[in-house]
Amino acid sequence: MIQMNHVYKTYPSQISALSDMTLEISLGEFVFVAGPNGSGKTTLLRILFGAEKPSSGEVIVNGMNITEKGFNKIYSLRRTMGIVFQDFKLLRDRTVSENILFALEVTGHSRKEAKNKVSEILSRVSLQEREKDSVLTLSAGEQQRVAIARALINDPPLILADEPTGNLDAQMSIDVMGIFTSLHLKGTTVVFATHDIDLIRRYPYRIIYLSSGKRVDVHRDEEGKTGE
Amino acid sequence: MIFFLQYVIRRAFQNIRGNLFPNLTTIGIIAISILIFSAFTLISLNLTSFLKIWEDKIEVIAYLKKGAPLKEVEGLLKNTRQLEGIEGVKYVSPFDAMSFLESKLGSQKNLLQGIQPAVLPPSFEIQLKKDYRNSTKIKKVVSQLKQFPHFEEIQYGQEWVETFSALVHIVRLTQWTLGCLFLFAIIFITSNIFQLTISSRQEEIEIMHLVGSRPAFIRVPFYVEGLIQGLLGGGLAIFFLYLLYKGFFLYIPSSIYAWLARVPILFLPQWTILWILIGGMFLGFFGSFVASMRVLKE
Repeated sequence: MIQMNHVYKTYPSQISALSDMTLEISLGEFVFVAGPNGSGKTTLLRILFGAEKPSSGEVIVNGMNITEKGFNKIYSLRRTMGIVFQDFKLLRDRTVSENILFALEVTGHSRKEAKNKVSEILSRVSLQEREKDSVLTLSAGEQQRVAIARALINDPPLILADEPTGNLDAQMSIDVMGIFTSLHLKGTTVVFATHDIDLIRRYPYRIIYLSSGKRVDVHRDEEGKTGE
Repeated sequence: MIFFLQYVIRRAFQNIRGNLFPNLTTIGIIAISILIFSAFTLISLNLTSFLKIWEDKIEVIAYLKKGAPLKEVEGLLKNTRQLEGIEGVKYVSPFDAMSFLESKLGSQKNLLQGIQPAVLPPSFEIQLKKDYRNSTKIKKVVSQLKQFPHFEEIQYGQEWVETFSALVHIVRLTQWTLGCLFLFAIIFITSNIFQLTISSRQEEIEIMHLVGSRPAFIRVPFYVEGLIQGLLGGGLAIFFLYLLYKGFFLYIPSSIYAWLARVPILFLPQWTILWILIGGMFLGFFGSFVASMRVLKE
């Protein structure tokens, strides 16, 4: 599903964000990308969804070699994945359903088809009752659920989540994690970037730990604690 | 395809509604620029039409030397008719000239009492072929006539024709110079306003990129927005030009109006209006295109 071979990313200011990154994530896997702030988690995800080009190396996502010369169908790549961010990226002047409707319309669904699909998508994140509410009236956890719902409009086999619980309290984080877990159980591959070690400890998934742009081997002890 | 068109038009109007002030500013700038350009087009059109009417009436009068024998005149008449660019030649005897003067003076013809027709020189009234009724070709005909030693003087109102042609030329030059300047100014201004408009929708655009919108779904509504602005700007310009045109007739003194009644004052023909509207749409489109090239990169 995802393959990165010897990927380097250096910004024009000569800051090295990723160094010799090699990893493989299989179909249906749930993977935590962990590490402190500035360790390269966001850069890694941005490369995976085509927002950044690596300086060198090869990246294959959902069968598409996005580092291949002449690859310019970023939109095709994005339709095979759902992307979730810490800051939700919702249209704040719209309602819950309008946010989903907008995403559906701009990806080529007819208005009628989009309207029919909205309720179904919102029911997956248990928000169908708040369909007509402005997103500003929602709690942070609910806003993140709207963002997750929006990420599901193309029924993607892959979800990339960049610190999706970063703005949420413990209980809301557990609720949101519940949605990601259920998606994973239905076969969706989830790549979840977080610096929240406590959250990682609660779930038995594989961890890709980054430090200063490099991959570091980690193991879990019997209590689920992680260590280098 | 129909869905795409519906989507694009809906989005374009949503964008216009959502950014009403910048959109009205762009429409206003396009309208003012096109109005100035169209006003010069209208002036140039009317001057050209006036020149054409005047040129159609243009003729050359060649005055014969006094005392030329009638036999020679007949030969000269024949030779003149054979010259290039000449449609017809009419001999005007001193008696004909006197009757013409009398008819022109009307009730004051007694002023001519005691004057002998012989004081007036005989002349040829020369009608030119249509292609030769302009300042450059008329000179060709005159230079051929000057070859004949029998002519004393040749008149064709050359100063008037040349001055008027020069005036038309200056108006046309101003029209196109302004047109080019406005073209760059409009593209520069509209593309900058568009940049602001697009930036204000940055959140939406970012989401469109993230969910996998095709580039056409992101860009085309902005192009259509530009086309609509250009069309409205062009339409407003034509509307205000028409008001000015009508207003011109309301506020001009009656003496000038009476003179103008003999010369038709035209408004822009339908084809010109259509081209101006298409031009406006092109300007709007190009402004949005330039802006989107700068801003809509991910």
